[in-house]
Amino acid sequence: MKANSPTLPPIPARTGPGRPKKRSGPVPAWGLKLGGLLTTFGVFVSSFGYANAHLYVTNAPLQPATVAAVATTDTTAATTSTATAVPSTAQPAVTVTKKS
Amino acid sequence: MDLFFWEIARASGLAAYAALCISVLSGLAPRTQALSFLANNRAVRALHDWTPWIVIPAALVHVVALLLDATARIGILDVFVPFLTSYGQLAIGLGTISLDLLIIVLVTTWMRRRFSNNAWQWWHRVSYLGFVTMFLHAMLSGTDLTSPVISVLSWASGIGIAYYALERLGKALNPSRIRA
Repeated sequence: MKANSPTLPPIPARTGPGRPKKRSGPVPAWGLKLGGLLTTFGVFVSSFGYANAHLYVTNAPLQPATVAAVATTDTTAATTSTATAVPSTAQPAVTVTKKS
Repeated sequence: MDLFFWEIARASGLAAYAALCISVLSGLAPRTQALSFLANNRAVRALHDWTPWIVIPAALVHVVALLLDATARIGILDVFVPFLTSYGQLAIGLGTISLDLLIIVLVTTWMRRRFSNNAWQWWHRVSYLGFVTMFLHAMLSGTDLTSPVISVLSWASGIGIAYYALERLGKALNPSRIRA
């Protein structure tokens, strides 16, 4: 038994009435690449500026012995500082001894 | 002059972290729509394919600066073999592992045609491990991460990538996607 109504064509899945439209941003590929390059370069330049301004970070987890030595001589003028030969994981990589 | 290389090493380390974040995020974005507010998937995929051009120079400058910086006492062998340094073995060793994994991911990507698609995908998933080891390396040895601003930005980008990686994993493991 056939229905009298004509057979309707199937609704395309991508243009169906209930389907939400996915909209993506307008930035082209070259724009993303330029953004990635500028972001990386910007991080490098700003980090270099920060490292230059904060050369002696006393609470850094790892630091070269010379940095720790200079930091100590800045703070304790009346003491003799002797940097350890190998950078240490401990907070201050410097041993300070007072002159008698 | 020696402290100049130390500053370069610190700055390039953070730049390499930023470049790797862009690379991993653009790799996750086509399936998670993480960057759909910016561009379509084709453009994001083009960005992902291009990111070695920013990751490699940043990582290379970081390694070379550490080699030239005498106080850091990093040797050629320490660059490729982990846990050989006389100090900070775990912190520096994680960086060595992340560099090794980065090399593996890049080489297998350039040799992609020699692998089956499935095998290449498994090799490419090593990049997640590479990102985790680099993140831990940054947290354990990063001098500038003592700065609250840099620390917050680094943690935020790491957490964001972890979120989208878990979303990507969830979609991959979704039973409705598995063919009968």
